[in-house]
Amino acid sequence: MKKQQILNKEIESFDFQSGGEASSNLKNILRKLGVSAKIVRKTAIVTYELEMNVVIHSLGGEITALISEDELEIRVDDDGPGIEDLDKAFTAGYSTASDEIREMGFGAGMGLVNVKRHADQIDVESSPGEGTHIKVIIKLAS
Amino acid sequence: MIKKHSVLLKEDKCEGCTNCVKGCPTKAIRVHQGKAWIKEDLCIDCAECIRACEYHAKYTETDELTQIVKSNYPILLIPPSFYSQFSENTSAAKIKKSILDLGFKAVFDVADAAAALSRKTLDFLNNNPGSYISSSCPVIVRLIKLQFPDLIEMLIPLKSPVELMAERLEKKFKEEKDIKPDIFFLTPCPAKLTTVKRAIGQKDSFLSGAIGVENIYKKIYESLDNIKLEQSEDEIITLATIWGSEGGEQSILKSWQDVKTLSVSGVSEVKKLLNEIERNNIAESIKYFELTSCIDGCIGGVLNVINPFQARFNLEQRIKKIKEISQNQKLKLDISDDEYYNFELSDEIIADNLSKLDNDFKKAMQKLEQLQKEIEILPGLDCAACGAPDCKTFAEDVVSGRAVRSDCIFMLRQQLGELADELADLANELPPVMGSKKEETDDS
Repeated sequence: MKKQQILNKEIESFDFQSGGEASSNLKNILRKLGVSAKIVRKTAIVTYELEMNVVIHSLGGEITALISEDELEIRVDDDGPGIEDLDKAFTAGYSTASDEIREMGFGAGMGLVNVKRHADQIDVESSPGEGTHIKVIIKLAS
Repeated sequence: MIKKHSVLLKEDKCEGCTNCVKGCPTKAIRVHQGKAWIKEDLCIDCAECIRACEYHAKYTETDELTQIVKSNYPILLIPPSFYSQFSENTSAAKIKKSILDLGFKAVFDVADAAAALSRKTLDFLNNNPGSYISSSCPVIVRLIKLQFPDLIEMLIPLKSPVELMAERLEKKFKEEKDIKPDIFFLTPCPAKLTTVKRAIGQKDSFLSGAIGVENIYKKIYESLDNIKLEQSEDEIITLATIWGSEGGEQSILKSWQDVKTLSVSGVSEVKKLLNEIERNNIAESIKYFELTSCIDGCIGGVLNVINPFQARFNLEQRIKKIKEISQNQKLKLDISDDEYYNFELSDEIIADNLSKLDNDFKKAMQKLEQLQKEIEILPGLDCAACGAPDCKTFAEDVVSGRAVRSDCIFMLRQQLGELADELADLANELPPVMGSKKEETDDS
């Protein structure tokens, strides 16, 4: 079965007001599709982290979710500024977030680490000065 | 048939406004034919509709006192919150005597079981990794079953104080007096009444029924002046009476040990918190969440009589008094008595699974597509004139065949407009004999 798009949402830089909406929407959609509670939880965590990454670190971007009977694909594409060091970005506790962001309770350096922990597959394409493109796969069969 | 919830509708009082529809946290109410109907499966008995209704059309039917006292051996369990309905100068002993005079064989404080449960909870939290949610408010348990099924595993698998108490008393009376008592609960809310009929996490409730505070408050209040006590007025009730208001449970835990806890009250606030927990946006170091559906905890229960502000003040004053009399600032932690309680829930708590559009994934996908199209077509004003709380919920009703698009007055208006245009077009078309299309049809 071909993957069908079930969500597409633009995310603006520093928009903490609507940050989290994509995660909530996707969660509700998956429940409507009868996806198991465990997978819904994983998806909520992964999507929220990805979404907040765009809000906190990027110039803006969009999040897209596609689904087939077997798997869920979440794509995040932002307009930059790109990730300097990908290895470091996947290191627990490493963060480039400003003090201001940290004061808000974000930027603990666990974002991508958490995504990796809950995702079945993650591909990141990024280089400084360009946008970041992340593709995450979550298998639906538990 | 046993009703799945205890909030009911007085049809003759319902004006068909949509205040309750819009305020319902599970979107369980629809107005049809001028009356607000509650969808059984979705109602969690939070009583928000009772609070929202200006016409007092929503109510709870608890057991009648006259019926209760006719039972074989009626005993009544008093919740901690009940003491908030009186000034601290009215002693607990007096209140209990007044209840006995109504025809009960015995009365007991649920707070005693709450104290035991607090001790058990601390022990459980110290011996189990992870974070837990209190299972004592039945509305919260049902909310999680219905809307946050992935958080069921966080519900602490321990019985609520009232069930603990009832189970213990049943055993005690059997062993000591060979009597099977009829145990009733003096309830501040409709949700506790529902658990009597439909227990969660255990096969059956140990309670025979429940009576609302509002049903006997007047009788008790009026009798207080005439009560003569044989024993001392200073009868001490447990400090666990603080369980009646929000934060009470956690304050007891914290008095023993520096446990990381958080308490939140009010069903809409609790929903927001659960949403944050679900996406891991709350510190994992928080070990225990004390959540109650009513603002301020059980003292905010809709069947209480005194306003919740005064009730909170009253309870605080009484707790202060208990501390003064007992000369104790905190509850005892080591009590051998607790072994008489059977804390663990016997059955697993199961998700309701009511959100899916279809059991078959492909069909669910088709319905999801229809749903998204429907949402796009609708005006998005969330006016509720269709009887559903908002356009998205209405769209779901349309896709699942419970409503038709023209139930939306804006869609109806548009359809009428289109129909009118069509009629006008038709009216402008003249029959051929009147020669309107002569040039086109003339082929000679």
